[in-house]
Amino acid sequence: MKRWIIMGTGLVVVLTLGWKMKVSMADEDEYWKRTRDVAAVENPVYKEECGSCHMAYPPGLLPGRSWEKMMAGLEDHFGENAELDSVTAAELSRFLVDNSANAVPNYRRSRQITRDLSNESAPLRITKLAYFRHEHREIPARLIAANPEVGSLSNCNACHQKAELGSFSEREIHIPGYGKWDD
Amino acid sequence: MKPNKQIIVTSVLLALTTPILANEVVTKLLQDYRSQAVQPFSAEAGRQLWIKFFTDANGDKRSCTTCHTSDPKQAGQHARTGKRIEPLAPSVNSERLTQEREIHKWLTRNCKWTLGRECDAQEKGDLLTYLNSL
Amino acid sequence: MNTAAKVKVWDPVVRIFHWSLVSAFFIAYVTEEDFLSLHVWAGYTVLSLVFLRVLWGFVGTQYARFAHFVYTPQTVKRFLLDTLRLRASRYLGHNPAGGAMIILLLVALLLTSLSGLAVYGVQDGAGPLAGMLAGAGEFWGDVFEEVHEFFANFTIFLVLLHVAGVIVESLIHGENLVSAMWHGYKRKAH
Repeated sequence: MKRWIIMGTGLVVVLTLGWKMKVSMADEDEYWKRTRDVAAVENPVYKEECGSCHMAYPPGLLPGRSWEKMMAGLEDHFGENAELDSVTAAELSRFLVDNSANAVPNYRRSRQITRDLSNESAPLRITKLAYFRHEHREIPARLIAANPEVGSLSNCNACHQKAELGSFSEREIHIPGYGKWDD
Repeated sequence: MKPNKQIIVTSVLLALTTPILANEVVTKLLQDYRSQAVQPFSAEAGRQLWIKFFTDANGDKRSCTTCHTSDPKQAGQHARTGKRIEPLAPSVNSERLTQEREIHKWLTRNCKWTLGRECDAQEKGDLLTYLNSL
Repeated sequence: MNTAAKVKVWDPVVRIFHWSLVSAFFIAYVTEEDFLSLHVWAGYTVLSLVFLRVLWGFVGTQYARFAHFVYTPQTVKRFLLDTLRLRASRYLGHNPAGGAMIILLLVALLLTSLSGLAVYGVQDGAGPLAGMLAGAGEFWGDVFEEVHEFFANFTIFLVLLHVAGVIVESLIHGENLVSAMWHGYKRKAH
């Protein structure tokens, strides 16, 4: 009899803690669906306007205030002129802010990025984010800057084969001239 | 010149330049630019502008060729990101120079980047004439 | 096996626990972070099962209790040597090596799940350890991740050893220990 009281208590503990677990879990989508790093870029205007000189970076990689700052300074976009007509600029600003890292809770990378940022900082360079630098800290320069097929860390899809689908999984990395990255 | 002679000269010039223009959009833009242009548009003038180097605030040299190469029929690459740029010549890439909005956008940005200022109507007309002639 | 010759060894708790654990661990191992929610639930299930099995190890039926199958290291070693010489006795419950394997597995699974919860807390700011660990920083996230990966793979290694041991033992004594863990019955001792 005592045996079943103990086991019953154990079961109650397990179920209660299970409930608390559920409440404290990250807000992922259905369990059987693949975890999403960031949303894939599907907006055709964004792909066209912001993907003609470099990969169209997923909006989920920066907070909304960063995108606003970037869109307000397009005449000097990292040393280039990227100005747009005001209608398109406004449309893209809204798209970026609505899909920014702090606007979308269901994406792992977005959560990991915003976790490290203060509420005021508006970084413009994805490659300088604390989280980004941490993830790429072990890669030697010869594989990136000195690698003619890569060139810089801003060239995500050179190595991250599914970057444009919003996936940056370590298992999908293929560094040109080198191969898989096995950590 | 007397008005009817002006009309004849303009028509002849237009007729001379028309075979080069396969493209309606370019035709329309050239008409827009013509009123502010000093001379008739010429592909050669466009080519000279294409290969010319300008010095920026840091002392670096910039040219259309920096990204688009000296041959617009070839693919180029972005000077900074390395991203591939499809050929600009409509004869090779039929989508080029078909959208007025796009032409305005890129001429504004890229003249500012290359020359440090917007291109004037003469320069724009020469450039378009050059690209369309390839 | 006719009814007279068999004895009930494994109670339902042990059997349900065993196969639930196999499933939950397998699911956790293959989903990794690709299906994070499912992975976390599988891991939590593993942790719960381990906890309940430990309880049962103290209050359960005879063959399920730790007191029945945990032997001294010397006994385990002697048993392994005897097995190599094909001289080992047959045990109705877990033999000494099996008992040692169970302890190792329970510990490895415990460490795997706990470190997993730590990773979840640091990297995703979620789960029961999030309150404590969410601000711990990238360094600790990496540490816990390495620990988690190590123990997960160590568990796989133990599982392979365990399966090998079960097969060897089955062959030596001419019985199917896998099905015994399913229906609970074993051939009576002579």
